[in-house]
Amino acid sequence: MALTNAPTPPSAYAGTAHTNDYQFSQGTGYVLPEYAAVVPDAVRTGKAEHHRILIVGGGITGLTLACSLAQLGVDCVLLDEDNTVGVKGASSRGICYTQRSLEIFDKLGIFERIQAKGIQWSVGRTFAGKDEVYNFDLKQQTNFSLSQQPAFINIQQFYNEGYLVDRITELGHAQIRWNNRVTQLSNDEGVATFTVATPAGEYRATADYVVDATGSKSPFRQWLNVGVKAKKGDDRWCIADVRFNTRPPTERHTWIEAPFNDNRAVWQHLMADDVWRIDYQMAPDADPEYVSSEAQVRERLAKQFGPDTQVDIVWVGPYAYRSECVDSMCVDLGAYAARDSAQQPLHSTQKLLQNKHPGQQPASHVFLIGDSAKVVSPFGARGGNTGIADADNLAWKLAAVVQGHAAPALLASYHPERHEAATTNVQVTNRTARFLRPADGVERLFRTAVIGLAKQHPFARALVNTGRMAVANPYAASPLTDAALQLSISVQNVALQWANGPPACLNDLLRWAGTRPLLLVFGDASGSLPSSAIAKLRALASASNLRVVHVVPQRSQAQVRETVIDAHGLLASACGLPAATPAAPSAPAHSSQASSVCQWALLRPDSYLAARGNQLGAALVSAVARCAGQSAPGAPA
Amino acid sequence: MSPAALDPQLTDADGFYEALLDAHTGLSTEQSALLNARLILLLANQIGDAKVLAHCIDLAKPGTGSAA
Repeated sequence: MALTNAPTPPSAYAGTAHTNDYQFSQGTGYVLPEYAAVVPDAVRTGKAEHHRILIVGGGITGLTLACSLAQLGVDCVLLDEDNTVGVKGASSRGICYTQRSLEIFDKLGIFERIQAKGIQWSVGRTFAGKDEVYNFDLKQQTNFSLSQQPAFINIQQFYNEGYLVDRITELGHAQIRWNNRVTQLSNDEGVATFTVATPAGEYRATADYVVDATGSKSPFRQWLNVGVKAKKGDDRWCIADVRFNTRPPTERHTWIEAPFNDNRAVWQHLMADDVWRIDYQMAPDADPEYVSSEAQVRERLAKQFGPDTQVDIVWVGPYAYRSECVDSMCVDLGAYAARDSAQQPLHSTQKLLQNKHPGQQPASHVFLIGDSAKVVSPFGARGGNTGIADADNLAWKLAAVVQGHAAPALLASYHPERHEAATTNVQVTNRTARFLRPADGVERLFRTAVIGLAKQHPFARALVNTGRMAVANPYAASPLTDAALQLSISVQNVALQWANGPPACLNDLLRWAGTRPLLLVFGDASGSLPSSAIAKLRALASASNLRVVHVVPQRSQAQVRETVIDAHGLLASACGLPAATPAAPSAPAHSSQASSVCQWALLRPDSYLAARGNQLGAALVSAVARCAGQSAPGAPA
Repeated sequence: MSPAALDPQLTDADGFYEALLDAHTGLSTEQSALLNARLILLLANQIGDAKVLAHCIDLAKPGTGSAA
């Protein structure tokens, strides 16, 4: 079955980028790094290639996935349609990276580069008219304090993409092919077959696992025939990336009603290189070209920052806010081929399906990540950060399956987890969009009431919605989570100490565990292991399907080979467990009371909590099995 | 201490606000006003306490503080 329209001519690699509606209007633009085109041998030989994992699209999500796989020692090929990160002629795109994304980048080894280039911020202020409605300081919020990484760093997206490319080059395993544009995807009896155009000609490739990281504007959704729920309002904004001769404070400022923008919303954010992102909400009937013209932008900036402020315009363009979410983030091409042939009995694939034999190539699975799966209005940094989390979620599962540590069934957990996250992020951002662009009539009336009350009363500030900042989405509906856990949460990158002294962090343990789950054992109320647990732990540690580490409050308590010190019980807190209090050296062990209690938490390679408990028993065994794509012993598949 | 609670008490502020706006979607101005009136009376009965209600009415009046 052909999933495609007419094939595109070979010269199509030079076509325009499938970017997400950022239209360049004015400015000096960004200088992006350029990479050499890659022409694989298949162009010359004419032989089709086969890959275990093929990623299409070298944006922030595709590159995060490729880098994560490389980090785990798994080979993959990534095809990118042009020869640069970022998008030629587009804006800086995503600028605001969450603590969770920064933790993922730390695991991949590029956090220091981002920290050095980017801007940390924690204070946000919201204004209506001339009045400040409320402010917040993320440093004062305890939910950000357990991690080694800050709450947010602002940096232009292409810098992070460039760091990922550099890191992939260092790691090996992942091959990035610049100037390789997919012009056709067909489903040959369940096998994904690509036609790829390069500057030197075309080649064909098949793959077992295909990752669509091409964004929302590529032909992939049509090729794959996935359903999309979309919501397009009339809210359009003008994005201006500018430099000043005077520095505004390093804070996030949002105006619900800005006097210098005809009482419509304005966003103000700092990025790297002293560039500021200023977003102006347009009137619904405004002409986007006019609003985004340099003269108009300069006039607004003068009203906002004063007539004497000198401004360099780096980039200006209009952007239409919208939301989209696909129905399925995983497509089994084998099922497609079977269904298609059932519906169309005369279709040629039916015969081929009947001829399937044991040695035949298995059906391909396509995973949609990042903007390929969902697009949200950019409130609360829920776009790119969600894509990075998609990649982090998929990477260890793909790697574990390809390395043979897990059954392919593990991959079935990608859709329910990340679709839940996508759906939540669409809902949350749509609510913000509605607050910022209320319908005329009663919606605007309620907003006026909220703003008026919020200036006086704290309760109404909870209703002022200028964006709910992105968090690591918890999973309520995951087949990998122990039933006793209500939610699977992301455990923060807590600072630790190796048993011999040097500093460590949770990411060090996760890197050591690779694609295997990590069992953190906290012991009894004093942090000691009951004697009955030591033998069990030794047996568990010698098994190949997980890594075990004893987390102790102080060095003297090390009882098994792999030990880390968590002096303040922060890791236990991050796992939702009570922190241990070390027993005084002179006090006798509370052996009768504590002998059977042994607190533990099982972390997936993406740092999400799979299970926790206080007995090394059946719940732990089942949880480990689920992380390897096996149904729990005695449980239905 | 004022009789009316002015610190946040809503367990899901965004969810409540969405449900409130959804309830008005597609209604005429008159129907919306009637919905609001019915809702106020229902919520008042949840509060019950006369002092709290009197304080809320006072706070909501035009010209009180900087109500927009």
